[in-house]
Amino acid sequence: MEFSSSKHGDKLVVTVAGRMDAITAQEFDTQCRQWLAAGDTNVIADLSGLEYISSAGLRSILSAAKQLKGAQGSLAFCNLSGMVEEVFVVSGFAAMFTMHPTLEDALAG
Amino acid sequence: MTTHVTSFRMTNRMNCFKRVQPEVERFAMAHGLSPKCTFHLTLCLDELITNIIDYGYADFDEHPIDVTITLENGCVSVRIEDDAEPFNLLEAPPPELEVPLEERTKPIGGMGIHLVKTMMDGIEYTRKNGRNILLLRKCVCDDGALAGAPHE
Repeated sequence: MEFSSSKHGDKLVVTVAGRMDAITAQEFDTQCRQWLAAGDTNVIADLSGLEYISSAGLRSILSAAKQLKGAQGSLAFCNLSGMVEEVFVVSGFAAMFTMHPTLEDALAG
Repeated sequence: MTTHVTSFRMTNRMNCFKRVQPEVERFAMAHGLSPKCTFHLTLCLDELITNIIDYGYADFDEHPIDVTITLENGCVSVRIEDDAEPFNLLEAPPPELEVPLEERTKPIGGMGIHLVKTMMDGIEYTRKNGRNILLLRKCVCDDGALAGAPHE
């Protein structure tokens, strides 16, 4: 998995690319600790480059979301497509999290 | 109608996704399965075999896991056979989908199985001779999955 991030006001936009499977998923959780350590608590994850996600990836996202929420922060998502979007819908994550169609929407919201 | 079959063996020491994905993609490509159907098969195999690898064994030995994928009459069947501890996913409790994030007591148990139950059209479990045998069925006619299939 690959991460790149940029600051937009008080929001941290994190672009996630690659695969979130049983082997790689923990990296998201690990990254989240670094965002928190740097004082970033409002995170928008841009998933346009995410090719694959399994329940292990969902677990990692949930764990990260709990950490951010515990620090009065938030985790939102944008640019989901194809299989990643389907997994978010079937798992209930699409209803549980704030979802934006594009990054522009996410930054405006 | 022609029957297409592929089988492969993996073990609990392998990287599940990396072993499963090329096998499913090769089969799907050869027989014109849709990207959506290919993804469903990949994800379900990944979820189920990852479960077996993570929770199925009481020892630290290497164990074989045998997978057979069959396409017949517009239906894909997947058979997974392993010698892990008995586990019937049909009896597993559902995940807490409706419970708000902060009220969840369990991390997120059962989500992989929920995805499998949603994406597959049929699931059968048998325990026989100390082995788990799981049969999954997925109809591929409904999403145009066979639209690009070569004519026989």
